[in-house]
Amino acid sequence: MSILELHNVNKNFGTGLSKVTALKDVNFSADQGNVVLILGPSGSGKSTFLTIAGTLQTPSSGTIKIDNKNINNLSNKQKEKLRLNKLGFILQTYNLVPYLTVKEQFQLVDRIKKDNLNDEQLNNLLAFLGINKLINKYPEELSGGQNQRVAIARALYPNPGIIFADEPTAALDSDRVKEIGKLFYKIAHQNNKLVVIVTHDLRLKQYADQIYNIIDGRINKN
Amino acid sequence: MFLALKEIKHEKLRYTLVISIIVLISYLIFILTGLAQGLASQNTSAINSWQVNSFVLNKDANINLRQSFLTKNQVHTLKQNNKQDALLGQASIVIKHKNKKQVSATMIGIKTNSFIYKDMKLINGHKPNNDHELVLDESLINQNYHLGEWIKLNSSPQKYKIVGFTKNAKINISPIAYGTLSAWKQINNINNNFAASALVSKNRNYKTNNTDLKTYNKKTFINNLPGYQAQNMTFEFMIGFLMIISLIIITIFLYIITNQKLPNYAVLRAQGISAKLLIKTTIFQSFILVIGGIIISSVLAGLTYMVLPNNVPILFNMPTLSLVGLGLIITSILGSLIPIKIISKIDPVKIIN
Repeated sequence: MSILELHNVNKNFGTGLSKVTALKDVNFSADQGNVVLILGPSGSGKSTFLTIAGTLQTPSSGTIKIDNKNINNLSNKQKEKLRLNKLGFILQTYNLVPYLTVKEQFQLVDRIKKDNLNDEQLNNLLAFLGINKLINKYPEELSGGQNQRVAIARALYPNPGIIFADEPTAALDSDRVKEIGKLFYKIAHQNNKLVVIVTHDLRLKQYADQIYNIIDGRINKN
Repeated sequence: MFLALKEIKHEKLRYTLVISIIVLISYLIFILTGLAQGLASQNTSAINSWQVNSFVLNKDANINLRQSFLTKNQVHTLKQNNKQDALLGQASIVIKHKNKKQVSATMIGIKTNSFIYKDMKLINGHKPNNDHELVLDESLINQNYHLGEWIKLNSSPQKYKIVGFTKNAKINISPIAYGTLSAWKQINNINNNFAASALVSKNRNYKTNNTDLKTYNKKTFINNLPGYQAQNMTFEFMIGFLMIISLIIITIFLYIITNQKLPNYAVLRAQGISAKLLIKTTIFQSFILVIGGIIISSVLAGLTYMVLPNNVPILFNMPTLSLVGLGLIITSILGSLIPIKIISKIDPVKIIN
């Protein structure tokens, strides 16, 4: 059973002559333990796909299921809860809270959600990401790659089933891309997560289990 | 609270500057409130010490004690119970003594059997026993006037002996010299046809049938003291204006800070953190800024009060200052309304797109 499914999803913006269709008849499904890459140029509908699959936007038509539950009719509060418990987001701009140390970024999550990773699991995750010695640093004291790894750790800390990553390697050099790509692969396979990456960075292809192309709002499996 | 406190701890300079502005404004508000209270007290302290509720004046006196004279015939028509009604005469005087600074004051003449005379609380000395003895307000001590000294009033060659000093004896910011009603007549140089300036009564519903006289309640009488309302309104205007300034400063500060944090908040919202938590954080931050500012400015205002000379009319009244503090706290809540609106409209999609 797929953890994430989209059936005949369409998303339109505007009406009449100014109507723009960002997603057209999108059908998609993916299982845990996979890295899924959605490749496409700017304006192809990648981000719309991610925000709709991540419950941040509602589709104009079609059905979205997470864990086999239709989420179309959930209230905003229910969607918030779903995101808090089951979905993680990693964005191009890390946007860590600038006045919280790495440790405090996790403490913030603890204050709003209970069943997060335990201390041992967190320490393992930080060691796994190579940031266990940066625990008392502020984001401004970290490099771009270190910030991105902290953002990944923050997304993984609530132990979500699905991780959405939006252009996670856009600002990184090839060595860092390799590092992050391997990391996503490990997260998906060792921790049994679904990692959905929307990107135009072809360097990530080698780490994906499934690759989709998205052009003009239409998605096709590679 | 967690986010609010961590941010303040990390952004020390930014928050210190904002608290400093709030401290300066709230300090100014406290000092102005103290001055307003002090001056109001100097206008009314004698009236409050008499504990009267009604004032009977000549109806053509424009509710002004200085302009009011009651004739003997008019006084005979008034009910008088010495326990709650008292005739008094008022005269503007200048207290003079060789080698001392002249002091503008108000002479209040009272009967020795009136409740004002009996209830008068002295710091030292005794109450006037004859027409050449006066009890002065304690502020005259600071002007170097002493018990037992003989003083002159206005241009009169008549000398009067200082036989005592009393507290809370000011009317319309002028220190009072209490003497007998006969002494008032001598000082005012008026004929025997006039008996007093007014009758004051503890009775709230004191009524007179004399059509030449009119009874006013305490509030009306005080509000018509020369300059009293203008002075209070000036202070109220300044304090109100400062409250508005503090509201604008808090709003601008929170607006700028919130806008700077929008990308971070958008990510937190995407991760499922509710707008409610972020709104609470903003309100709490605003609270901390204002409460911190109020505490520091209260201490500064208290220290100022201690070092100011006695003749500065400043009075700190806790209930009033608490109300001012509450006003500032309400200001902080109002100041966070615009940032709250911005936070409630954060759309995580925008940061992703």
